[in-house]
Amino acid sequence: MPEIEFTIKEETGEMELQVEGVQGPACSDIAKLVTDLVGAPAREENTREYYARPQTVRQVHQKS
Amino acid sequence: MSKYLAFTEVVFKDPALLVSALEQIGCTQIRQGENLPMGRYWAEQDETRADVIVPRGTVGNGFGDIGFTRVEGGGLAPVLDDLDKERALGGKFLPRLRATYNELAVAQVAARVNGTMQRTVNGGVVKIRVRF
Repeated sequence: MPEIEFTIKEETGEMELQVEGVQGPACSDIAKLVTDLVGAPAREENTREYYARPQTVRQVHQKS
Repeated sequence: MSKYLAFTEVVFKDPALLVSALEQIGCTQIRQGENLPMGRYWAEQDETRADVIVPRGTVGNGFGDIGFTRVEGGGLAPVLDDLDKERALGGKFLPRLRATYNELAVAQVAARVNGTMQRTVNGGVVKIRVRF
């Protein structure tokens, strides 16, 4: 199940987040949702899963 | 994990969320407008203008109003006297405001992705998991 984990430090109010289980550029859509509200991040990293291509399943139907 | 982001800049991008966060941490009589003059304690203090203003004395800010002024690139940056930075909400005004603002932003993100939120606090660190 896709998940975003937000971490907020009470001492400074700073926030970090990790997006998990979202493959490909859909991850950037989620990041944009956050940056529209919070502003540009000081640090941003795409991890290996980001570059994974969403899997497509080819279905072949036989005519009877 | 597919993406990691860290936010350290003290700029509040969404004015409505900022006002909600200010109210949640106890600010009252918040003024909103454009280029409003900020109240000050010392006559020698430079006149400062802001777009969102928390009046002097509201949250322990004895030396002047606390303002938020629009910055290039969008958002509102705080303007407050150094002495008030140390005194307002016991010196915790900006950290508490940022933490409250960020939690409100997380709730909005969760609503946008139709997600469920699970919040835990451990050792001064708030963790919110949004599953969708």
